Amino acid sequence: MSDTALRTEGLTKHFGDVVALDHLDLEVAQGEVVGYLGPNGAGKTTTIRLLLGLSRPTEGRAEIFGLDCQRQPVQTHRRLAFVAGEASLWPSLTGAETLALLGRVHGQVDEAYRDELIERFDLDPTKKVRAYSKGNHQKVILIAALMVRPDLLVLDEPTNGLDPLMEQAFRHCVHEARGRGQTVFLSSHMMSEVEALCDRVGILRDGKLVEMGTLAEMRHLSALTVEARFDGTIPDLSGVPGVSAVQADGSMVRCQVRGSIEPLVKVLAAAGVTELLSREPSLEELFLAQYGADGHAG
Amino acid sequence: MQADLGIRARTTAPVRASGSPATVVAAFSTRKAVRSGVLWGYIFGIAIASSEVSYIKLYKTAAQRDLLAATYGTSKATSALFGPAPQLQTVSGFTAFKISMTLMILGAVWGLLASTRLLRGEEDSGRWDLLLCGQTTRRGATAQVIAALGAGLGTLWAVTAIITVLSGLQSSVGIGAGPSLYFALAMVATAAMFLAVGAVTSQLAATRRQAASFGAVLLGISYGVRLIADAGVGLHGLIWASPLGWVEELQPLTSPQPVALLPIVAFTAILALVAVHLAGTRDAGASIVADRDHGEAHLGLLYGPSGLEIRLMRATIIGWWIAIGLSALIYGFIAKSTGATVSGSVKEFLSKLGATGTGAAAVFGLCFLIEAILIGFVAAGQVTAARSEESEGMLDHFLVRPVSRSAWLGGRLLVALVVLVLSGVAAGVLGWLGAASQHAGLSFTSLLGAGINLVPPATVILGIGVLTFGMRPRATSIVVYAVLVWSLLIVIVGGFGTVSHWVLDTSVFHHMASAPGVPPNWEANGIMTAVGVAGALVGGLAFRRRDLQGA
Repeated sequence: MSDTALRTEGLTKHFGDVVALDHLDLEVAQGEVVGYLGPNGAGKTTTIRLLLGLSRPTEGRAEIFGLDCQRQPVQTHRRLAFVAGEASLWPSLTGAETLALLGRVHGQVDEAYRDELIERFDLDPTKKVRAYSKGNHQKVILIAALMVRPDLLVLDEPTNGLDPLMEQAFRHCVHEARGRGQTVFLSSHMMSEVEALCDRVGILRDGKLVEMGTLAEMRHLSALTVEARFDGTIPDLSGVPGVSAVQADGSMVRCQVRGSIEPLVKVLAAAGVTELLSREPSLEELFLAQYGADGHAG
Repeated sequence: MQADLGIRARTTAPVRASGSPATVVAAFSTRKAVRSGVLWGYIFGIAIASSEVSYIKLYKTAAQRDLLAATYGTSKATSALFGPAPQLQTVSGFTAFKISMTLMILGAVWGLLASTRLLRGEEDSGRWDLLLCGQTTRRGATAQVIAALGAGLGTLWAVTAIITVLSGLQSSVGIGAGPSLYFALAMVATAAMFLAVGAVTSQLAATRRQAASFGAVLLGISYGVRLIADAGVGLHGLIWASPLGWVEELQPLTSPQPVALLPIVAFTAILALVAVHLAGTRDAGASIVADRDHGEAHLGLLYGPSGLEIRLMRATIIGWWIAIGLSALIYGFIAKSTGATVSGSVKEFLSKLGATGTGAAAVFGLCFLIEAILIGFVAAGQVTAARSEESEGMLDHFLVRPVSRSAWLGGRLLVALVVLVLSGVAAGVLGWLGAASQHAGLSFTSLLGAGINLVPPATVILGIGVLTFGMRPRATSIVVYAVLVWSLLIVIVGGFGTVSHWVLDTSVFHHMASAPGVPPNWEANGIMTAVGVAGALVGGLAFRRRDLQGA
């Protein structure tokens, strides 16, 4: 049996002249929690709809647990659950009826876990869907996915509309899922969420996967921020290898370093540094670095 | 911190948008209302013009016209169903009788659907909240939508009037511009009243479907009261208790009574004002009639997509069955008395309307054409409901679970077919009950067969709908209702023998034998069913190969 939960090969989708996804090669191992990042229109939802068989690829193929997503959608879907960030539900059904319907359609439900999730997410299942707030609406969709304990959770902006407490509850559920060996594919705009949950992160830009790796691996690609304070004169750092964006402010200097930090440390030590602070880039900084300072793709 | 993220602040001042912010809701809604008014005005106009022209071509001599008047001019049954038929010896009188009731009801349905769509429908979708965030109030926005609906109504009247006047001015027809304008006004009067009814029910109900249902109940009561008033049982005064009766009392093209406009205008204006007032007394998204937000879980039908479909549509389907069954029962009651007048050349006349055979059977043949149209609407509703499930994103919930596209669509089609067959059975059985109560001499099996005979045309509509759904999903609703309305128009016009058989063949109802006047044509029914099944199969294959598409 394959250890791969999800694999795409040259997966491409065109909408007329627009290339929404361009030869995506992606592999997610079983038990991994993978984040999938990109701004609006980068191709995240298109990828997910292709994986789910809701859209047809222009080129390439996708597999989930070794099953072809287009040719064997029913078999594939027995092993996964999907949460959309924006999904309509049937307004005249109650929350309990919706969960019962979706559970029966999936074919398996851990009822004890479902009841626990209802409590954990503080959902009133006797309410009709039309009376739910956006957040409660999202809770129904989340519970419906989690209660079937799928081998793969495909999540597209899953915390859309949830308050911070419920976001925490969601993160707890994902940690539990990982603990049970479930695979999670998480598309999100929330960098903190991805940073907190994911083993690996992929960054999509204009339909192309431009980065894929662990957070540690990706940090090597970006600059380290260094702040140093001096008693005496601030040294000239402009000629130090790897140093850029030097900013002096009184007795303090701030700069960014790519590659080895050793040349900078030597210069700072010789100049009598009294305080030294270094910080790795956050996922948000890594993401913005991929998209340029103006925050736009391209 | 924006500078840290590299986001540059805008330095230009905001530019004033075109149009007044205080009337943006009206502008937004007017576009939709006017577009709909143009389409339906065209349909109304063509229907009126075709009636006028066909009369001229078919009834050329005074003798033929006298015979027509003798057939329908004094019949209490047809008066109850379609309204009085004075002056059938003239093109004006014939046109007023032939088309008025159909257009009055179509106008009411148009008004009700248009207003509930633009008021409660917008609230259901959540867009209403966005509009209310602009420079308006709940009452202001409602008034703007009502004004927009007024513009749509004006368009409906204008397009209807232009075609009616142009047709009337032909020398052979000879109806002046004044009477034509007044006739067009009468034909859109029910649309005006039910626009206002829909505006009020949109305030009362919690959902668009509920709002339309409230309005439909009022329309049904209005038709029933008018029917009793025109049935010749000494209760004609009741005509003033029915909005449809007021329109009838306008008596366009025969003996105009503009005074009857007073209750119509008053009814419309008062309801519009009530709607605006009620909009200010409730929260956005809430309803005046209390709606239960909580409920016990009823899981009986919730075993899958088909069960859910039955649950969600059962109220609508039962409503259709009641309409089909009750109308068949009424046809049964009147078939014997009306059929007694059918003989000789009158029989020939009825055959041109599609009612072959003799006596009560011939009358049933004609009345069951209306039943076939109703069942056609049931079929169209089934297809558009499937498309709505896709466009609103509900279908995603099934297709991301272990449900194949074929299973989902196949389940829906199976439910639709059962609904259509039961609709036909309801028409046949209740028609037989009515006829049997009057000892009309029609057997149960012949009427049951006549009821089932109504299903194949609906199957064709279903098949064409599924074909469109599979290949051009966004056009599903337009195509399926266009086929239905076209078929209806052709059968109205073609019944008079003035249309080439190539055109007649494009109407799905033209291929249906007028049972029980003649035996059902099972060969034609088989071909229609095969066409429907083929359309559904090709549509189903196309659906399997395409992307899901939103609205």
